[in-house]
Amino acid sequence: MLACKAVVAVLLVAAGGAKLADVAGFAASVRLFLPRPAAPRLDGTAARLDGTAVPRLDGTAARLDRGVAVGIAVGEIAAGAASLSSPRASWLNLVVLAICGGFVTVSAAGYRWHRGRSCRCFGALSRRRFNLAGLGRSAAIALGAGVATTPVRAAAIQLGPADRIALLAGALLVAAAAFSAAAAVGAGRGAQDAQPGWT
Amino acid sequence: MITVAIIFVVIAAILCVAALLALLGIGHLGLSGPDALARDGLARGQLAPAWTLADPAGLRHSSRPSCPLQLIVFADHSLKSFPSVVAGLRALLADAELEIVILTRGPAEHSEPVLRQLGLTGVPVLTAAPARYGRYNVRVMPFAIFVDSAGRVRASSLVNHDWQLAKLRQVAAIPVGADEVPGRRRWLAMAG
Repeated sequence: MLACKAVVAVLLVAAGGAKLADVAGFAASVRLFLPRPAAPRLDGTAARLDGTAVPRLDGTAARLDRGVAVGIAVGEIAAGAASLSSPRASWLNLVVLAICGGFVTVSAAGYRWHRGRSCRCFGALSRRRFNLAGLGRSAAIALGAGVATTPVRAAAIQLGPADRIALLAGALLVAAAAFSAAAAVGAGRGAQDAQPGWT
Repeated sequence: MITVAIIFVVIAAILCVAALLALLGIGHLGLSGPDALARDGLARGQLAPAWTLADPAGLRHSSRPSCPLQLIVFADHSLKSFPSVVAGLRALLADAELEIVILTRGPAEHSEPVLRQLGLTGVPVLTAAPARYGRYNVRVMPFAIFVDSAGRVRASSLVNHDWQLAKLRQVAAIPVGADEVPGRRRWLAMAG
């Protein structure tokens, strides 16, 4: 039970840190699930190379996607770090379970409507897409979060301030490392996508 | 009772360390791959670092070129392994609008004789500390960065062939547009 709790918490922190390194990419995934009006509000058009005009998403919608993406990433880090450093707070287990339930829902919806699209669950660290395997992974993480909700006597898992600070620092280090690693991997991929090459 | 808490702390600590090691490994792989190397150097329009360095003869050279363009070549005596790049540099020596300098990572005195033998006479060979390479975001050699008289990067790339230098020279001849200057780029994007 404790191992499940720790694994899910570290996963959340790493996923949140990696997402923060590529907010624009994750915002594109968020855009797949945010409701949009039937006729999107546009603030202009952008020209394709063939001269035809394509609608451009207005700034408010883009900011909303970005805000939601940042909110999710920061929320994951906060929930993971809190769960790791405050194991006594049983309500946090329910919050983490709810977050993992959200992942399962998103994976299922992605599998149903956006199969094959990149989920960006771990930012640039992963190229996983919405598919059955992804749904299975989300379900396994949610199962782990479910196991972690098993009641434990609060006195049994009472940590001292030093332990809590050390675990919080560890969680933040993991988030920072995930951010750096995702930024490094993303830079390479960006180069691959953006560089025209010597032709 | 305390045992449960200790077990949790130990498990969490092991997981954190394992995650850190894995992420560091992933990051290292990401930075050392050829795709990441393609992003080395400075972006076009970015301000290049300013410096004044003395060559082995004591003559001082500055990052602000006296002519329209300056080609900074990050190389050393190992340039002899790139005959095509040497040929490309020799071809650019005739360019009146271009000033070429070679920045070596180690002492220039070691590289200068070899570079002279390669036919790069008249090209200042300057000692640059590894930190200066870092400021130019250069990790591998030979690397070429074209800078204009305003100190802005015109073109930047790892080079292995003469035609790459020639192509970079063509790109460097194109003035930096307002949308290519990093600060203005963001402002222009916001303004739509």
